[in-house]
Amino acid sequence: MKDSIIEVKNLYKYFGDLQVLKGVSCDIKKGEKVVIIGPSGSGKSTFLRCMNLLETPTYGEIWFEGNLLNEVDPYLHFDIIRQSKTYTEVLNREREENSQLDDEQADALAIKLIKEQDLLKKKEGKAFKESVKAYSKVYRQDVNLTRRKIGMVFQQFNLFNNLTVMQNLTLAPVQLKLKTKEQAEAKGLELLKRIGLEDKANVYPSTLSGGQKQRIAIIRALAMEPEVMLFDEPTSALDPEMVGEVLELMKELADEGMTMVVVTHEMGFAREVASRIVFVDEGIIMEENSPKEFFANPKNERLKEFLSKVL
Amino acid sequence: MAQFFEWVSTQFYKTLIYDKRYMMYLEGLLDTIIISLGAIVLGLVIGILFATIKYINKRNGKLKVLTKTINFVIFIVRGTPVVLQLMIMYFIVLVFLSNGIVVAIITFGINSGAYVAEILRGGLEGVDDGQYEAGRALGLGMGKTMLKIIIPQAVKTCIPAFFNEFIALIKETSVVGYIAISDVTYAAYRIQSRTLDAYFPLIISALIYLVLVALLTFALRKIERRLAKNER
Repeated sequence: MKDSIIEVKNLYKYFGDLQVLKGVSCDIKKGEKVVIIGPSGSGKSTFLRCMNLLETPTYGEIWFEGNLLNEVDPYLHFDIIRQSKTYTEVLNREREENSQLDDEQADALAIKLIKEQDLLKKKEGKAFKESVKAYSKVYRQDVNLTRRKIGMVFQQFNLFNNLTVMQNLTLAPVQLKLKTKEQAEAKGLELLKRIGLEDKANVYPSTLSGGQKQRIAIIRALAMEPEVMLFDEPTSALDPEMVGEVLELMKELADEGMTMVVVTHEMGFAREVASRIVFVDEGIIMEENSPKEFFANPKNERLKEFLSKVL
Repeated sequence: MAQFFEWVSTQFYKTLIYDKRYMMYLEGLLDTIIISLGAIVLGLVIGILFATIKYINKRNGKLKVLTKTINFVIFIVRGTPVVLQLMIMYFIVLVFLSNGIVVAIITFGINSGAYVAEILRGGLEGVDDGQYEAGRALGLGMGKTMLKIIIPQAVKTCIPAFFNEFIALIKETSVVGYIAISDVTYAAYRIQSRTLDAYFPLIISALIYLVLVALLTFALRKIERRLAKNER
């Protein structure tokens, strides 16, 4: 458990009435390359975006290196539930209805009932929310500090259009005072050389091809020297002939030992690079296995169906 | 023909030269320019501030009270004539300020700010969400992301609309005569009351505004061309 970088605990995400994630737990260890696959609309991108809190989880907790990113989920902490007024009410009712319950049974029953019916959200007021907030403070770290260590690569590249390539690479390290301008530019140039685009340092992103944009987006994240990289369908918006150059760079990163979480439709990449493949569908993790087992011996029916379509 | 030229030269002399009346125009021009420039700068500051607050509130719902206040200000500004706003400010709200030009700058600045805010709000919402997300994902805070990434991109797309607003503003300042500031328009009025002839004074004032607006349009073209550089 000690060497886990990102820990997702019982994650739920609703957009209004739409339940996108329904209880996802995942533990990502240092050096692991986790590939998340699944049909479109399965919630895999949302799952990834929750990891650096671009989406705020409805329930559940995200931990990064022992620091909590979002607010504690009271349902994951029995001691918080026990502090609530609702718990006392439910417990007393249980006792009245069934006098034979011993303390332990009544406690378990009350907690189960509160969880199942989501009573804390429905019944508890401001005071309870405050106490949850206070409880969170003990574990919680400023999300901006954590995000520095989590690199993110988007499907649509999202290079800053108003800045040159070099400014894209140096903006965050300089603004966050992690590096001086000179240091950041030296690092930027080194990264540009690595991908063979040093002659593009002073052009604006609009003049680049998709593959070039995405590789620069990747090194922009690397310029922050992150401990883990999240990739949200990095090749889905690319012309086919440009997919290779981006995957190549990602493979290099993987070989260097970077911890990676990748949402992708590239099965070849998954097979070759992943240390673990996670299949997400209908908002839950349906299957999770090593690439070999995953492709050779799929157990879940949905996964079999999915693989028969994409392979 | 000779008669016409004679008439023009007399009028010209009466309107501009005699008694150094051109000084009234020059002084008026100076006031018009000071008020316009001051109001444009103040309007930009207020507009960017208002629009940013509204944008942030839309993103995370954290600035509700401020947003409501801003919406109320915009409602008042857009719903009442600027002449009345000017007089209300001069005679009631800022009655302790004896300097009319300062009052005019404040009034037109707030007025322009409301319009700039509405223009810029559209610009901010037009910037791709991905730009904001990319900034935040790198660990930049809300403020830095806005300042370095979102606002520059939004302002750029809004520049033509801003210039429209500035041009309208320059012309709107022609009502400052109501609080006894002698701008270009009021200079015409004063000269007209001395020469007892409306023709020349009014035409000259109109020409001055035309030249001002033409200069501003010229500047706009230059700025647009320069900003277009980071496009293809």
